[in-house]
Amino acid sequence: MTKTSLTKWLFALMLAMVLVLAACSGETGSEDPGDDEDTEEPADNEEGTEEEEEEEPAEDDGLFSIDDFSMDKTNQGEAIDGGSITFGLVSDTVFEGTLNFNFYSGNPDYEVIAWFDEPLLYTDENYTYTNEGPASYEISDDGLTFTLTIKDGVNWHDGEPVTAEDWAFAYEVIGHPDYDGVRYTSDFANVVGMEEYHNGEADSISGIEIVDEKTLKITHHETGPSMVTGGIWSYALAKHIFEDIPVADMSSSDAVRKNPIGMGPYKVDSIVPGESVVYKKNEDYWRGEPKLDEVVLKVVAPETVVNELETGGVDLVNSFPVDQFPDNADLSNVEYLGMIDNAYTYIGFKLGHWDADAGEVVMDPDAKMADVNLRKAMWHAVDNDAVGNEFYNGLRWNATTLIIPFFPDYHDETIETPTFDPDEANRLLDEAGYADVDGDGIREDKDGEELTINFASMSGGDTAEPLAQYYIQSWKNVGLNVELVDGRLLEFNTFYDRVEADDPGIDIYQGAWGTGTDVNPDGLYGRTASFNYPRYASEENDRLLKEGNSEAALDVEYRQDVYKEWQQLMVDEIPVFPTLYRSVLMPVNNRVLNYTIAPGEYIRHEIAVSEEEPLVAE
Amino acid sequence: MIDMWKFTLRRILIMIPQIILLSILIFILAKMMPGDALTGMIDPNVSPERLEELREKLGWNDPWHIQYADWVGGLVQGDFGQSFRFKMPVTELIGERIVNSFWLSVATLIFTYLIAIPLGILSGRYNDSLLDQTITGYTYLGFATPLFIFALVMLWVFGFMLGWFPTSGSVSPGSEPGTFAYVMSKINHLILPAIAMALIATVNTVQYLRSEIIDTKQKDFILTARAKGASESRVYNRHILRNSLLPIAAFFGYEITFLIGGTIFVETIYNYPGMGLLFFESITLRDYSVVTAVVLLFGVAAILGALLSDIILSLVDPRIRIK
Repeated sequence: MTKTSLTKWLFALMLAMVLVLAACSGETGSEDPGDDEDTEEPADNEEGTEEEEEEEPAEDDGLFSIDDFSMDKTNQGEAIDGGSITFGLVSDTVFEGTLNFNFYSGNPDYEVIAWFDEPLLYTDENYTYTNEGPASYEISDDGLTFTLTIKDGVNWHDGEPVTAEDWAFAYEVIGHPDYDGVRYTSDFANVVGMEEYHNGEADSISGIEIVDEKTLKITHHETGPSMVTGGIWSYALAKHIFEDIPVADMSSSDAVRKNPIGMGPYKVDSIVPGESVVYKKNEDYWRGEPKLDEVVLKVVAPETVVNELETGGVDLVNSFPVDQFPDNADLSNVEYLGMIDNAYTYIGFKLGHWDADAGEVVMDPDAKMADVNLRKAMWHAVDNDAVGNEFYNGLRWNATTLIIPFFPDYHDETIETPTFDPDEANRLLDEAGYADVDGDGIREDKDGEELTINFASMSGGDTAEPLAQYYIQSWKNVGLNVELVDGRLLEFNTFYDRVEADDPGIDIYQGAWGTGTDVNPDGLYGRTASFNYPRYASEENDRLLKEGNSEAALDVEYRQDVYKEWQQLMVDEIPVFPTLYRSVLMPVNNRVLNYTIAPGEYIRHEIAVSEEEPLVAE
Repeated sequence: MIDMWKFTLRRILIMIPQIILLSILIFILAKMMPGDALTGMIDPNVSPERLEELREKLGWNDPWHIQYADWVGGLVQGDFGQSFRFKMPVTELIGERIVNSFWLSVATLIFTYLIAIPLGILSGRYNDSLLDQTITGYTYLGFATPLFIFALVMLWVFGFMLGWFPTSGSVSPGSEPGTFAYVMSKINHLILPAIAMALIATVNTVQYLRSEIIDTKQKDFILTARAKGASESRVYNRHILRNSLLPIAAFFGYEITFLIGGTIFVETIYNYPGMGLLFFESITLRDYSVVTAVVLLFGVAAILGALLSDIILSLVDPRIRIK
């Protein structure tokens, strides 16, 4: 090979490598798995920069506290007549365009639907059904039968009244064997006659009775406190439009994708698939004519949301990456609203496996993490307040129990949970028999064998790697050798695939849960819950979870006591330990009036503006 | 001319096994991706039993070769299947998006050549001058700049700071299709991403054209032309340029491959709903039927691009028609 051709080859090789490198960093730069997903899904370890920019005047240390944020927008100025606002749907992905509560699957679609349709039963700040919404309810004495009455004046956008038939029709479609969505849950199976109907053995649902045009009776097999937080499917489906469409074709029909219909304060005027939606006010809205003439929804990438807010490109957003807040805390044209998020991050310990045939969790007494003192020591070894301050500027903070402060009635602040105390961790480990036999600074297991704990953690965002390394270092400080599974962070889907399959290579993992709005933790920690990833079960746990959702628990005080006991049990047994509670921040342009993010407030028709054009940052 | 047809035919025949192999690879790789469209839905409000029921109903639990046969069976009838997440036929979904990508690509190509041809000519004609060095400097910068960073900077400067161009989407919300305002809004939305992509894509062509011109300049027939007393502009415009542009034309097919790679970044950054963004989304959503269809189309486009280049090249330069 001559010299010139060698140089040529080298050059080509270098060029190729540059391209490969560029491609690689491109992937990591824009991938943020899970962000586009429903908020009620396992939140990933997204976001957060560790830049400690100490320029916020309000706080000397650059730290923030969620207590300083209000859920309600401060009104500035007087409302003008009409006006138009732009709502930013912050998402990596477009909305899929399944624009009906009965068929959608992703959260972006939910955000689009929520402007033009609404539930028949409103909920209050505790996420319990009220009689304030388009329909009211009454429960029979045995708690099993709900009588639902739709109010007069509640009409679909085309002027047809919303009827009991429309409501029953939603049940019939979701329960139908041909239904292709994900909304069929145990709440549906709980309706008398639903399972027979779902399996194709019956033509109608025996437990649903249409009393008159506006009244409907639904009878259930079982009842409990969850019945009034989510036991009823409260979204009607316009029968006069959908009855001629076969169930299997409904979700792809024009009535869902192109001309969606609802009964909410705004009507869909035009849709650019995946990009934007224009809504016009629904003058016939049952709670009165909306104040705004028009709402424009457009998809905004998380990378550019701050610029859009600064320039007035959007007035409101559906979510805001909290890690971008510290640098933009003093934008002059927006006000940040904030509340506690219904999610928490946690470390889970693998204690058994899932028995698919029996459909339940089986504990393994020989599991590596089976000793509760080991788990407790690991909790003592980490300083979550420091993590919250260093990585999230105080906008995430040390978590205590598994019922989060998002549920103020049930979260018990008085429970003492292990806090950062390496000495205590060392003491526990010494007592439990995890001694350093060979003197290398690393503890061996009880039999004197080498102990390596395999830690699975998710990739995504800038903080995932340093955070995982911080935990590993903290455990090393108390003599525990913890290593990342495969030596690296796992991609979102791989992570859940392997955790779900009880991969023997995973001993502990860092995950996150969105809790939804029902306090009942049975779906995540029950014996028969497949989301019970630590695979923990005990009779005490079974008992408490059952009592917490029994008829007796309709009495709030009783339920509080049960859940208090359960929170204590989880602190004693530690199948998982929560690490961080989270906050939600929501920037709103100053011209927007009457806005709030408080739960249980249905205010979209009240929103108004004080200026024709959005305010721009100075 | 017969030779020409033989060559083309042979080239097309080679494509068939290429495409079959491509389809198998794509399908297996897509299935090997961890998770499926339902994995992301770990949600206490969605029951795992329902998800399993859906997986069974949709045939996702079948062995891969059965799924592959189903897929190919649909493909030959022009049916890419149903998108699970978008709840609509993939063909329709792609139809919606490919129009956007097509116009973005056309605009990019126009800008690419608008920039490349004058710069290449200037650089080649006055080689080793300060002008040439500046242009070459730009091309090196272009080679070194990753598109996704450059696109972001362009968005920030021209979209947000100066506010000259819209920052996301392919058309203003609420525009009426078919109206003049709608078309203008469409054009307005694709200028910035197209320029961003063209400024990077063009550097190849500039370099190529430059070296072609320098090369041709020293050919004997140019000396002859000069000796005959042809004016300098005639020499450049008639003799050198003509000969130098031919290989550039051949390069055109390969530009398509670059465009595909480029659109994935650019469409994501500008939130421009075309094929690139669809590709990206369908992977994050694990929407298999869309992933496979989009990748297959990309692959076929790249193969066709190469074919186009070869045909143009063989027209221009009969020597390369290999037997």
